[in-house]
Amino acid sequence: MTTIMLALPSKGRIQDESLAVFADAGLAIDRPGGARSYLGEMAAMPDVSVRFLSASEIARELIRGTIDIGITGEDLIHETAAAGPDQIAIVKRLGFGRADAVVAVPDSWIDVTTMDDLSDVAADFRARHGRWLKVATKFVNLTRRHFAAHGIAEYRIVESLGATEAAPASGAADLIVDITSTGSTLSANGLRIIEDGTMLKSESLLMVARNAEWHEGKLETLVRLLSALGAETFQP
Amino acid sequence: MTPTARRDALRALVSAPGVTLSAPPILVPPAAYFDLAGEEFGARMILTQGTDGTEFCLRPDFTLPIAIDHIASGAATPAAYGYLGPVFRQRADGPTEFDQGGMELLALPDADAALDKIIAFARSVLDIYGVTAPHIRVGDIDLFETLLAACDMPDVWRPRIRARFGHPEAMSALLDRLANPHTATSGPVGMPETDIADWVRELMLTNGLSLTESRSPEEIAQRYLEKQALEAAHVPAETIDLLRRYLAISGAADTALAQIEAMRGLIDLPLDATRRRVDQLRLSGESSNLVFDAAFSPRLDYYTGITFEMTGQGRGVLVSGGQYDRLLQRLGANEQIPAVGCAVWVDRLEAEVRS
Repeated sequence: MTTIMLALPSKGRIQDESLAVFADAGLAIDRPGGARSYLGEMAAMPDVSVRFLSASEIARELIRGTIDIGITGEDLIHETAAAGPDQIAIVKRLGFGRADAVVAVPDSWIDVTTMDDLSDVAADFRARHGRWLKVATKFVNLTRRHFAAHGIAEYRIVESLGATEAAPASGAADLIVDITSTGSTLSANGLRIIEDGTMLKSESLLMVARNAEWHEGKLETLVRLLSALGAETFQP
Repeated sequence: MTPTARRDALRALVSAPGVTLSAPPILVPPAAYFDLAGEEFGARMILTQGTDGTEFCLRPDFTLPIAIDHIASGAATPAAYGYLGPVFRQRADGPTEFDQGGMELLALPDADAALDKIIAFARSVLDIYGVTAPHIRVGDIDLFETLLAACDMPDVWRPRIRARFGHPEAMSALLDRLANPHTATSGPVGMPETDIADWVRELMLTNGLSLTESRSPEEIAQRYLEKQALEAAHVPAETIDLLRRYLAISGAADTALAQIEAMRGLIDLPLDATRRRVDQLRLSGESSNLVFDAAFSPRLDYYTGITFEMTGQGRGVLVSGGQYDRLLQRLGANEQIPAVGCAVWVDRLEAEVRS
Protein backbone atom coordinates (compact mmCIF):
# COMPACT_ATOMS: atom_id res chain seq x y z
CA MET A 1 0.00 0.00 0.00
CA THR A 2 1.42 3.30 -1.06
CA THR A 3 -1.79 5.34 -0.79
CA ILE A 4 -1.87 8.15 1.71
CA MET A 5 -4.97 9.81 3.07
CA LEU A 6 -5.28 13.58 2.79
CA ALA A 7 -8.04 15.39 4.68
CA LEU A 8 -9.26 18.85 3.70
CA PRO A 9 -11.84 21.11 5.39
CA SER A 10 -15.33 20.46 4.04
CA LYS A 11 -16.74 23.95 4.37
CA GLY A 12 -16.38 27.59 3.55
CA ARG A 13 -13.46 29.77 2.60
CA ILE A 14 -10.92 27.57 4.24
CA GLN A 15 -12.04 24.75 1.92
CA ASP A 16 -11.65 26.92 -1.18
CA GLU A 17 -8.28 28.19 -0.08
CA SER A 18 -7.11 24.65 0.73
CA LEU A 19 -8.15 23.41 -2.71
CA ALA A 20 -6.27 26.34 -4.24
CA VAL A 21 -3.06 25.29 -2.46
CA PHE A 22 -3.15 22.01 -4.41
CA ALA A 23 -4.41 23.47 -7.69
CA ASP A 24 -1.61 26.07 -7.64
CA ALA A 25 0.92 23.25 -7.29
CA GLY A 26 -0.51 21.45 -10.32
CA LEU A 27 -2.31 18.91 -8.12
CA ALA A 28 -5.92 19.87 -8.81
CA ILE A 29 -8.47 17.96 -6.75
CA ASP A 30 -11.69 16.75 -8.39
CA ARG A 31 -14.88 15.64 -6.74
CA PRO A 32 -16.27 12.88 -8.93
CA GLY A 33 -19.38 12.73 -6.78
CA GLY A 34 -20.12 16.44 -7.23
CA ALA A 35 -19.30 19.54 -5.21
CA ARG A 36 -21.03 18.20 -2.11
CA SER A 37 -19.25 14.88 -2.15
CA TYR A 38 -16.96 14.05 0.77
CA LEU A 39 -14.51 12.20 -1.45
CA GLY A 40 -11.95 13.73 -3.80
CA GLU A 41 -9.44 12.59 -6.35
CA MET A 42 -6.08 13.99 -7.31
CA ALA A 43 -5.51 13.11 -10.98
CA ALA A 44 -1.81 14.01 -10.86
CA MET A 45 -1.24 11.70 -7.88
CA PRO A 46 -3.79 8.88 -7.82
CA ASP A 47 -2.14 7.41 -4.71
CA VAL A 48 -3.32 10.38 -2.63
CA SER A 49 -6.89 9.73 -1.58
CA VAL A 50 -8.76 12.84 -0.50
CA ARG A 51 -11.46 13.16 2.16
CA PHE A 52 -13.39 16.28 3.09
CA LEU A 53 -14.01 16.48 6.84
CA SER A 54 -14.90 19.18 9.37
CA ALA A 55 -11.93 21.20 10.57
CA SER A 56 -12.15 19.84 14.11
CA GLU A 57 -12.42 16.24 12.91
CA ILE A 58 -9.28 16.78 10.87
CA ALA A 59 -7.48 17.98 14.00
CA ARG A 60 -8.67 14.95 15.98
CA GLU A 61 -7.83 12.39 13.30
CA LEU A 62 -4.40 13.93 12.61
CA ILE A 63 -3.57 13.66 16.31
CA ARG A 64 -4.76 10.04 16.40
CA GLY A 65 -2.98 9.24 13.17
CA THR A 66 -6.01 7.79 11.38
CA ILE A 67 -5.39 10.19 8.49
CA ASP A 68 -1.90 10.86 7.17
CA ILE A 69 -1.85 14.49 6.18
CA GLY A 70 -4.33 17.32 6.35
CA ILE A 71 -5.12 21.00 6.56
CA THR A 72 -6.77 22.59 9.57
CA GLY A 73 -6.36 25.48 12.00
CA GLU A 74 -3.46 25.55 14.45
CA ASP A 75 -5.84 26.50 17.27
CA LEU A 76 -7.76 23.24 16.78
CA ILE A 77 -4.58 21.18 17.10
CA HIS A 78 -3.81 22.88 20.42
CA GLU A 79 -7.34 22.55 21.62
CA THR A 80 -8.17 18.97 20.69
CA ALA A 81 -5.52 17.53 23.02
CA ALA A 82 -3.09 19.13 25.43
CA ALA A 83 -0.22 17.29 23.76
CA GLY A 84 -1.76 17.72 20.28
CA PRO A 85 1.07 19.85 18.82
CA ASP A 86 3.56 17.05 19.59
CA GLN A 87 1.52 14.53 17.61
CA ILE A 88 1.79 16.37 14.30
CA ALA A 89 4.53 17.86 12.12
CA ILE A 90 3.86 21.21 10.48
CA VAL A 91 5.12 21.00 6.91
CA LYS A 92 3.67 24.24 5.59
CA ARG A 93 2.13 27.38 7.07
CA LEU A 94 -0.56 28.44 4.65
CA GLY A 95 -1.20 32.06 5.62
CA PHE A 96 -4.98 31.88 5.48
CA GLY A 97 -7.59 31.20 8.14
CA ARG A 98 -5.81 33.65 10.42
CA ALA A 99 -7.32 34.13 13.87
CA ASP A 100 -5.90 34.96 17.27
CA ALA A 101 -6.80 33.26 20.53
CA VAL A 102 -6.94 36.12 23.01
CA VAL A 103 -7.72 36.95 26.63
CA ALA A 104 -10.36 39.68 26.84
CA VAL A 105 -11.68 41.47 29.93
CA PRO A 106 -14.60 43.88 30.35
CA ASP A 107 -13.57 47.31 29.14
CA SER A 108 -14.61 48.65 32.53
CA TRP A 109 -11.72 46.79 34.18
CA ILE A 110 -9.63 49.90 33.72
CA ASP A 111 -6.99 48.57 36.10
CA VAL A 112 -6.33 45.46 34.00
CA THR A 113 -4.12 45.93 30.97
CA THR A 114 -1.69 42.98 31.23
CA MET A 115 -1.60 39.35 32.35
CA ASP A 116 0.26 40.55 35.46
CA ASP A 117 -2.74 42.65 36.40
CA LEU A 118 -4.95 39.64 35.85
CA SER A 119 -2.74 37.56 38.10
CA ASP A 120 -3.18 40.10 40.93
CA VAL A 121 -6.93 40.20 40.37
CA ALA A 122 -7.06 36.38 40.37
CA ALA A 123 -5.04 36.18 43.60
CA ASP A 124 -7.43 38.59 45.37
CA PHE A 125 -10.65 37.36 43.81
CA ARG A 126 -11.54 34.45 46.01
CA ALA A 127 -11.09 36.32 49.26
CA ARG A 128 -13.28 39.14 47.95
CA HIS A 129 -16.00 37.22 46.20
CA GLY A 130 -16.00 33.78 47.79
CA ARG A 131 -15.50 32.05 44.45
CA TRP A 132 -12.80 31.65 41.83
CA LEU A 133 -12.35 34.07 39.00
CA LYS A 134 -14.29 32.52 36.08
CA VAL A 135 -12.98 32.42 32.54
CA ALA A 136 -15.44 31.48 29.78
CA THR A 137 -13.88 29.73 26.80
CA LYS A 138 -14.01 26.77 24.51
CA PHE A 139 -10.20 26.81 24.37
CA VAL A 140 -9.60 24.94 27.61
CA ASN A 141 -6.10 23.63 26.89
CA LEU A 142 -4.77 26.87 25.45
CA THR A 143 -6.19 28.83 28.37
CA ARG A 144 -4.68 26.52 30.97
CA ARG A 145 -1.31 26.72 29.25
CA HIS A 146 -1.32 30.51 28.90
CA PHE A 147 -2.49 31.12 32.46
CA ALA A 148 0.04 28.67 33.87
CA ALA A 149 2.80 30.40 31.89
CA HIS A 150 1.83 33.61 33.69
CA GLY A 151 1.76 31.89 37.07
CA ILE A 152 -2.00 32.20 37.45
CA ALA A 153 -3.57 29.29 39.30
CA GLU A 154 -6.53 30.90 41.02
CA TYR A 155 -9.30 30.64 38.44
CA ARG A 156 -11.89 28.29 36.99
CA ILE A 157 -12.78 27.66 33.38
CA VAL A 158 -16.44 27.77 32.42
CA GLU A 159 -16.75 25.86 29.17
CA SER A 160 -18.60 27.83 26.60
CA LEU A 161 -19.63 26.36 23.29
CA GLY A 162 -20.92 29.49 21.60
CA ALA A 163 -21.36 33.24 22.06
CA THR A 164 -18.48 33.28 24.54
CA GLU A 165 -18.34 37.07 24.23
CA ALA A 166 -21.70 37.31 26.02
CA ALA A 167 -20.49 35.47 29.13
CA PRO A 168 -19.44 38.53 31.21
CA ALA A 169 -22.76 40.32 30.57
CA SER A 170 -24.81 37.21 31.32
CA GLY A 171 -22.91 36.65 34.55
CA ALA A 172 -21.60 33.26 33.39
CA ALA A 173 -17.98 34.38 33.71
CA ASP A 174 -15.81 37.37 34.60
CA LEU A 175 -13.65 37.37 31.50
CA ILE A 176 -13.21 35.31 28.35
CA VAL A 177 -10.70 33.62 26.11
CA ASP A 178 -11.87 33.49 22.52
CA ILE A 179 -10.73 33.40 18.94
CA THR A 180 -10.95 36.61 16.96
CA SER A 181 -9.75 37.84 13.61
CA THR A 182 -10.59 41.54 13.86
CA GLY A 183 -11.58 42.04 17.49
CA SER A 184 -14.82 43.75 16.42
CA THR A 185 -17.16 41.23 18.09
CA LEU A 186 -15.22 41.68 21.29
CA SER A 187 -15.40 45.46 21.32
CA ALA A 188 -19.09 45.37 20.35
CA ASN A 189 -19.58 43.40 23.55
CA GLY A 190 -17.63 45.83 25.71
CA LEU A 191 -14.58 43.59 25.93
CA ARG A 192 -10.94 44.55 25.52
CA ILE A 193 -8.01 42.31 24.58
CA ILE A 194 -5.26 42.69 27.16
CA GLU A 195 -1.77 43.64 26.03
CA ASP A 196 0.00 40.32 26.40
CA GLY A 197 -3.24 38.37 26.13
CA THR A 198 -2.68 36.92 22.68
CA MET A 199 -2.19 33.24 23.39
CA LEU A 200 -1.81 31.99 19.87
CA LYS A 201 -1.67 33.56 16.43
CA SER A 202 -3.37 30.79 14.53
CA GLU A 203 -3.46 30.11 10.81
CA SER A 204 -4.27 27.12 8.65
CA LEU A 205 -1.47 24.58 8.48
CA LEU A 206 -0.59 21.64 6.32
CA MET A 207 0.33 18.93 8.80
CA VAL A 208 1.54 15.34 8.76
CA ALA A 209 0.30 12.92 11.43
CA ARG A 210 3.19 11.51 13.47
CA ASN A 211 0.97 8.72 14.79
CA ALA A 212 0.06 7.44 11.33
CA GLU A 213 1.75 4.29 10.14
CA TRP A 214 4.75 5.41 8.10
CA HIS A 215 6.23 2.55 6.14
CA GLU A 216 8.45 3.02 3.14
CA GLY A 217 5.74 2.87 0.48
CA LYS A 218 3.59 5.55 2.06
CA LEU A 219 6.61 7.67 2.88
CA GLU A 220 7.64 7.67 -0.74
CA THR A 221 4.20 8.98 -1.77
CA LEU A 222 4.35 11.60 0.99
CA VAL A 223 7.78 12.80 -0.13
CA ARG A 224 6.49 13.31 -3.68
CA LEU A 225 3.43 15.18 -2.44
CA LEU A 226 5.40 17.43 -0.10
CA SER A 227 7.97 18.28 -2.70
CA ALA A 228 5.27 19.11 -5.29
CA LEU A 229 3.77 21.49 -2.72
CA GLY A 230 7.12 23.01 -1.78
CA ALA A 231 6.50 21.92 1.79
CA GLU A 232 9.12 20.96 4.36
CA THR A 233 10.22 17.36 4.58
CA PHE A 234 8.83 15.05 7.21
CA GLN A 235 10.91 12.81 9.48
CA PRO A 236 8.79 10.03 11.01
CA MET B 1 10.09 -10.38 50.42
CA THR B 2 7.93 -10.60 47.32
CA PRO B 3 6.01 -7.61 45.92
CA THR B 4 2.84 -9.20 47.28
CA ALA B 5 4.35 -9.54 50.73
CA ARG B 6 5.48 -5.93 50.66
CA ARG B 7 2.03 -4.82 49.63
CA ASP B 8 0.51 -6.90 52.43
CA ALA B 9 2.91 -5.26 54.88
CA LEU B 10 1.87 -1.83 53.60
CA ARG B 11 -1.78 -2.82 53.88
CA ALA B 12 -1.12 -3.87 57.48
CA LEU B 13 0.33 -0.41 58.21
CA VAL B 14 -2.63 1.47 56.77
CA SER B 15 -5.09 -0.73 58.63
CA ALA B 16 -3.17 -1.00 61.91
CA PRO B 17 -5.12 -1.05 65.20
CA GLY B 18 -6.60 2.40 65.79
CA VAL B 19 -6.48 3.25 62.08
CA THR B 20 -9.66 3.16 60.00
CA LEU B 21 -8.97 1.74 56.56
CA SER B 22 -10.81 4.08 54.25
CA ALA B 23 -12.03 3.00 50.83
CA PRO B 24 -13.78 5.93 49.16
CA PRO B 25 -15.41 5.26 45.78
CA ILE B 26 -13.25 5.57 42.68
CA LEU B 27 -15.82 7.81 40.99
CA VAL B 28 -16.22 10.99 43.01
CA PRO B 29 -17.75 14.40 42.31
CA PRO B 30 -15.05 16.78 41.05
CA ALA B 31 -16.54 19.94 42.56
CA ALA B 32 -14.56 19.81 45.80
CA TYR B 33 -11.27 19.48 43.91
CA PHE B 34 -12.07 22.41 41.64
CA ASP B 35 -13.27 24.47 44.61
CA LEU B 36 -10.11 23.86 46.58
CA ALA B 37 -7.45 23.78 43.95
CA GLY B 38 -8.81 25.67 40.96
CA GLU B 39 -8.13 25.04 37.32
CA GLU B 40 -4.48 24.09 37.53
CA PHE B 41 -5.17 20.95 39.52
CA GLY B 42 -8.41 20.46 37.61
CA ALA B 43 -6.39 20.04 34.44
CA ARG B 44 -4.88 16.89 35.93
CA MET B 45 -8.15 15.13 36.70
CA ILE B 46 -9.82 12.45 34.60
CA LEU B 47 -13.37 13.67 34.17
CA THR B 48 -16.41 11.82 32.97
CA GLN B 49 -20.14 12.37 32.80
CA GLY B 50 -23.19 10.31 33.65
CA THR B 51 -26.12 9.98 31.24
CA ASP B 52 -28.03 12.50 33.36
CA GLY B 53 -25.22 15.02 33.01
CA THR B 54 -23.75 14.42 36.48
CA GLU B 55 -20.02 15.07 36.47
CA PHE B 56 -17.59 12.63 38.00
CA CYS B 57 -13.84 12.36 38.25
CA LEU B 58 -11.70 9.35 38.92
CA ARG B 59 -10.39 10.08 42.40
CA PRO B 60 -7.09 11.95 42.06
CA ASP B 61 -6.26 11.41 45.73
CA PHE B 62 -7.64 9.97 48.94
CA THR B 63 -7.18 12.98 51.19
CA LEU B 64 -10.19 14.95 50.03
CA PRO B 65 -12.78 12.14 50.08
CA ILE B 66 -11.49 11.15 53.52
CA ALA B 67 -11.68 14.73 54.82
CA ILE B 68 -15.20 15.19 53.41
CA ASP B 69 -16.40 11.96 55.06
CA HIS B 70 -14.74 12.97 58.29
CA ILE B 71 -16.62 16.27 58.39
CA ALA B 72 -19.88 14.40 57.82
CA SER B 73 -19.10 12.26 60.84
CA GLY B 74 -18.13 15.17 63.13
CA ALA B 75 -15.22 17.39 62.19
CA ALA B 76 -13.76 17.81 65.66
CA THR B 77 -13.61 14.07 66.44
CA PRO B 78 -10.02 12.82 66.47
CA ALA B 79 -9.53 10.08 63.89
CA ALA B 80 -6.83 8.21 62.01
CA TYR B 81 -7.45 6.99 58.47
CA GLY B 82 -5.34 4.76 56.28
CA TYR B 83 -5.73 4.01 52.60
CA LEU B 84 -4.25 1.99 49.78
CA GLY B 85 -5.42 1.82 46.19
CA PRO B 86 -5.38 3.37 42.75
CA VAL B 87 -5.58 7.11 42.09
CA PHE B 88 -5.84 8.73 38.68
CA ARG B 89 -4.12 11.82 37.33
CA GLN B 90 -3.15 13.12 33.91
CA ARG B 91 0.63 13.05 33.93
CA ALA B 92 3.18 13.71 31.22
CA ASP B 93 5.73 11.39 32.81
CA GLY B 94 3.98 8.31 34.11
CA PRO B 95 0.89 6.16 33.92
CA THR B 96 -2.45 7.84 34.52
CA GLU B 97 -3.45 5.19 37.05
CA PHE B 98 -1.11 4.51 39.95
CA ASP B 99 -1.30 3.16 43.46
CA GLN B 100 -1.03 5.32 46.52
CA GLY B 101 -1.06 4.41 50.15
CA GLY B 102 -1.14 6.81 53.02
CA MET B 103 -2.38 7.99 56.36
CA GLU B 104 -4.34 11.03 57.49
CA LEU B 105 -4.65 12.11 61.13
CA LEU B 106 -7.51 14.53 61.62
CA ALA B 107 -8.37 16.61 64.68
CA LEU B 108 -5.75 15.04 66.92
CA PRO B 109 -5.30 17.35 69.92
CA ASP B 110 -1.48 17.19 69.97
CA ALA B 111 -0.15 18.35 66.60
CA ASP B 112 3.46 17.41 67.34
CA ALA B 113 2.47 13.90 68.39
CA ALA B 114 0.37 13.59 65.24
CA LEU B 115 3.27 14.70 63.05
CA ASP B 116 5.48 12.16 64.85
CA LYS B 117 3.02 9.41 64.04
CA ILE B 118 2.97 10.38 60.38
CA ILE B 119 6.76 10.45 60.19
CA ALA B 120 6.92 7.07 61.93
CA PHE B 121 4.43 5.75 59.40
CA ALA B 122 6.54 7.10 56.52
CA ARG B 123 9.64 5.44 57.96
CA SER B 124 7.88 2.12 58.37
CA VAL B 125 6.79 2.26 54.75
CA LEU B 126 10.33 3.06 53.59
CA ASP B 127 11.59 0.13 55.73
CA ILE B 128 9.27 -2.28 53.93
CA TYR B 129 10.84 -1.27 50.62
CA GLY B 130 14.39 -1.19 51.98
CA VAL B 131 14.89 2.55 51.55
CA THR B 132 17.31 3.25 54.40
CA ALA B 133 18.70 6.69 53.62
CA PRO B 134 16.03 8.75 51.87
CA HIS B 135 16.67 12.32 50.87
CA ILE B 136 14.24 14.47 52.80
CA ARG B 137 13.20 17.93 51.72
CA VAL B 138 11.38 20.09 54.25
CA GLY B 139 9.61 23.39 53.97
CA ASP B 140 7.84 25.47 56.60
CA ILE B 141 4.72 27.31 55.52
CA ASP B 142 4.10 28.95 58.92
CA LEU B 143 7.58 30.40 58.84
CA PHE B 144 7.00 32.01 55.46
CA GLU B 145 3.63 33.38 56.58
CA THR B 146 5.28 34.84 59.70
CA LEU B 147 7.95 36.44 57.55
CA LEU B 148 5.38 37.86 55.15
CA ALA B 149 3.31 39.34 57.99
CA ALA B 150 6.40 41.00 59.47
CA CYS B 151 7.71 42.51 56.21
CA ASP B 152 7.22 46.16 55.44
CA MET B 153 4.93 46.52 52.41
CA PRO B 154 1.48 47.81 51.43
CA ASP B 155 -1.03 45.28 52.78
CA VAL B 156 -2.57 44.49 49.39
CA TRP B 157 0.58 42.66 48.36
CA ARG B 158 0.71 40.16 51.21
CA PRO B 159 -2.06 37.84 49.98
CA ARG B 160 -0.79 38.08 46.41
CA ILE B 161 2.71 37.10 47.43
CA ARG B 162 1.28 34.33 49.60
CA ALA B 163 -0.72 33.05 46.62
CA ARG B 164 2.53 32.49 44.73
CA PHE B 165 4.34 30.68 47.51
CA GLY B 166 5.13 27.19 46.26
CA HIS B 167 5.47 28.31 42.63
CA PRO B 168 9.04 29.64 42.26
CA GLU B 169 8.65 31.03 38.72
CA ALA B 170 5.44 32.91 39.52
CA MET B 171 6.97 34.19 42.77
CA SER B 172 10.11 35.41 41.12
CA ALA B 173 8.13 37.06 38.31
CA LEU B 174 6.05 38.89 40.90
CA LEU B 175 9.06 40.03 42.92
CA ASP B 176 10.74 41.25 39.73
CA ARG B 177 7.63 43.20 38.89
CA LEU B 178 7.41 44.72 42.36
CA ALA B 179 11.05 45.73 42.15
CA ASN B 180 10.42 47.39 38.82
CA PRO B 181 6.72 48.22 38.49
CA HIS B 182 4.99 48.84 35.18
CA THR B 183 4.13 52.37 34.36
CA ALA B 184 0.62 52.96 35.56
CA THR B 185 -2.22 52.92 33.06
CA SER B 186 -2.58 56.28 31.46
CA GLY B 187 -5.73 57.87 32.77
CA PRO B 188 -6.93 60.51 35.12
CA VAL B 189 -4.30 61.15 37.77
CA GLY B 190 -5.43 62.67 41.03
CA MET B 191 -9.09 61.87 40.43
CA PRO B 192 -10.75 60.83 43.70
CA GLU B 193 -11.65 57.18 44.11
CA THR B 194 -15.40 57.85 44.14
CA ASP B 195 -15.19 59.67 40.78
CA ILE B 196 -13.25 56.82 39.23
CA ALA B 197 -15.79 54.35 40.60
CA ASP B 198 -18.60 56.43 39.05
CA TRP B 199 -16.81 56.42 35.72
CA VAL B 200 -16.36 52.63 35.91
CA ARG B 201 -20.00 52.20 36.93
CA GLU B 202 -21.14 54.14 33.84
CA LEU B 203 -18.95 51.96 31.66
CA MET B 204 -20.31 48.78 33.23
CA LEU B 205 -23.93 49.86 32.78
CA THR B 206 -23.30 50.86 29.17
CA ASN B 207 -21.85 47.41 28.50
CA GLY B 208 -24.72 45.68 30.28
CA LEU B 209 -22.59 44.29 33.11
CA SER B 210 -24.02 43.55 36.53
CA LEU B 211 -22.54 45.82 39.21
CA THR B 212 -22.55 43.06 41.82
CA GLU B 213 -21.99 39.70 40.07
CA SER B 214 -18.31 40.23 39.37
CA ARG B 215 -15.76 42.91 40.28
CA SER B 216 -17.53 45.99 41.62
CA PRO B 217 -16.83 49.57 40.45
CA GLU B 218 -15.32 50.36 43.87
CA GLU B 219 -13.00 47.36 43.71
CA ILE B 220 -11.78 48.33 40.24
CA ALA B 221 -11.28 51.97 41.23
CA GLN B 222 -9.36 50.90 44.32
CA ARG B 223 -6.98 48.70 42.39
CA TYR B 224 -6.61 51.33 39.70
CA LEU B 225 -5.38 53.81 42.28
CA GLU B 226 -3.26 51.19 43.97
CA LYS B 227 -1.52 50.58 40.65
CA GLN B 228 -0.76 54.28 40.37
CA ALA B 229 0.38 54.31 43.96
CA LEU B 230 2.76 51.44 43.34
CA GLU B 231 4.49 53.69 40.85
CA ALA B 232 4.94 56.29 43.56
CA ALA B 233 5.27 54.15 46.70
CA HIS B 234 6.96 50.86 45.94
CA VAL B 235 7.15 47.78 48.01
CA PRO B 236 10.46 48.76 49.65
CA ALA B 237 13.53 47.40 47.87
CA GLU B 238 14.74 46.06 51.26
CA THR B 239 11.58 43.96 51.56
CA ILE B 240 12.02 42.49 48.10
CA ASP B 241 15.67 41.70 48.86
CA LEU B 242 14.67 40.11 52.12
CA LEU B 243 12.04 37.91 50.46
CA ARG B 244 14.43 36.89 47.71
CA ARG B 245 17.17 36.08 50.20
CA TYR B 246 14.81 34.06 52.33
CA LEU B 247 13.29 32.12 49.42
CA ALA B 248 16.75 31.29 48.07
CA ILE B 249 17.74 29.52 51.29
CA SER B 250 17.97 25.83 50.60
CA GLY B 251 20.48 23.33 51.88
CA ALA B 252 21.45 21.00 54.71
CA ALA B 253 18.87 21.74 57.39
CA ASP B 254 21.29 23.01 60.06
CA THR B 255 23.07 25.34 57.68
CA ALA B 256 19.83 26.60 56.17
CA LEU B 257 18.27 27.33 59.56
CA ALA B 258 21.48 29.06 60.65
CA GLN B 259 21.21 31.25 57.55
CA ILE B 260 17.69 32.21 58.51
CA GLU B 261 18.90 32.96 62.02
CA ALA B 262 21.68 35.12 60.57
CA MET B 263 19.04 37.35 59.00
CA ARG B 264 18.13 38.41 62.54
CA GLY B 265 19.29 41.99 61.98
CA LEU B 266 16.70 42.31 59.22
CA ILE B 267 13.96 40.11 60.49
CA ASP B 268 13.52 38.13 63.67
CA LEU B 269 11.80 34.86 62.92
CA PRO B 270 10.89 32.46 65.70
CA LEU B 271 12.64 29.25 64.70
CA ASP B 272 11.84 27.03 67.70
CA ALA B 273 8.83 25.36 66.11
CA THR B 274 10.66 24.84 62.83
CA ARG B 275 13.67 23.32 64.63
CA ARG B 276 11.43 21.01 66.61
CA ARG B 277 9.63 19.82 63.50
CA VAL B 278 12.81 19.41 61.49
CA ASP B 279 14.24 17.35 64.35
CA GLN B 280 11.19 15.13 64.20
CA LEU B 281 12.00 14.40 60.59
CA ARG B 282 15.67 13.64 61.18
CA LEU B 283 16.47 9.98 60.75
CA SER B 284 18.76 8.61 63.49
CA GLY B 285 21.66 11.05 63.28
CA GLU B 286 21.72 11.17 59.48
CA SER B 287 21.24 14.86 58.95
CA SER B 288 23.23 15.30 55.75
CA ASN B 289 20.37 14.23 53.51
CA LEU B 290 17.83 16.41 55.30
CA VAL B 291 17.40 19.58 53.29
CA PHE B 292 15.48 22.64 54.43
CA ASP B 293 14.14 24.53 51.43
CA ALA B 294 12.57 27.85 52.42
CA ALA B 295 10.59 28.11 49.16
CA PHE B 296 9.19 24.58 49.30
CA SER B 297 5.42 24.32 49.63
CA PRO B 298 2.49 22.86 47.73
CA ARG B 299 0.77 25.74 45.96
CA LEU B 300 -2.47 25.17 47.81
CA ASP B 301 -3.45 27.58 50.51
CA TYR B 302 -4.84 24.99 52.94
CA TYR B 303 -1.41 23.63 53.77
CA THR B 304 0.06 24.91 57.01
CA GLY B 305 3.06 24.21 59.18
CA ILE B 306 5.61 21.75 57.93
CA THR B 307 5.61 20.08 54.54
CA PHE B 308 8.02 17.36 53.42
CA GLU B 309 8.87 14.92 50.69
CA MET B 310 11.21 11.95 50.60
CA THR B 311 13.05 10.57 47.60
CA GLY B 312 15.28 7.52 47.15
CA GLN B 313 17.60 6.46 44.34
CA GLY B 314 15.09 7.36 41.63
CA ARG B 315 14.02 10.89 40.91
CA GLY B 316 10.36 10.51 41.76
CA VAL B 317 9.00 11.42 45.17
CA LEU B 318 8.34 8.33 47.31
CA VAL B 319 6.58 9.99 50.22
CA SER B 320 5.02 13.40 50.44
CA GLY B 321 3.23 14.80 53.40
CA GLY B 322 2.62 17.63 55.74
CA GLN B 323 0.18 19.58 57.81
CA TYR B 324 -2.98 21.04 56.34
CA ASP B 325 -4.87 22.63 59.18
CA ARG B 326 -7.02 24.79 56.92
CA LEU B 327 -8.46 21.97 54.81
CA LEU B 328 -11.38 20.91 56.99
CA GLN B 329 -12.41 24.51 57.47
CA ARG B 330 -12.28 25.10 53.74
CA LEU B 331 -14.51 22.05 53.31
CA GLY B 332 -17.09 23.43 55.69
CA ALA B 333 -15.92 22.79 59.26
CA ASN B 334 -16.63 25.69 61.63
CA GLU B 335 -13.08 26.19 62.77
CA GLN B 336 -9.49 25.39 61.90
CA ILE B 337 -8.88 21.73 62.71
CA PRO B 338 -5.43 20.19 62.93
CA ALA B 339 -4.68 17.73 60.15
CA VAL B 340 -1.53 15.98 59.05
CA GLY B 341 -0.91 13.18 56.64
CA CYS B 342 1.27 11.68 54.01
CA ALA B 343 0.91 9.74 50.78
CA VAL B 344 3.30 7.12 49.43
CA TRP B 345 3.81 6.12 45.78
CA VAL B 346 3.65 2.33 45.75
CA ASP B 347 5.04 1.78 42.24
CA ARG B 348 8.02 4.03 42.82
CA LEU B 349 8.74 2.32 46.15
CA GLU B 350 8.62 -1.03 44.37
CA ALA B 351 11.09 0.35 41.79
CA GLU B 352 13.45 1.26 44.66
CA VAL B 353 13.55 -2.39 45.69
CA ARG B 354 14.60 -3.41 42.19
CA SER B 355 17.26 -0.71 41.80
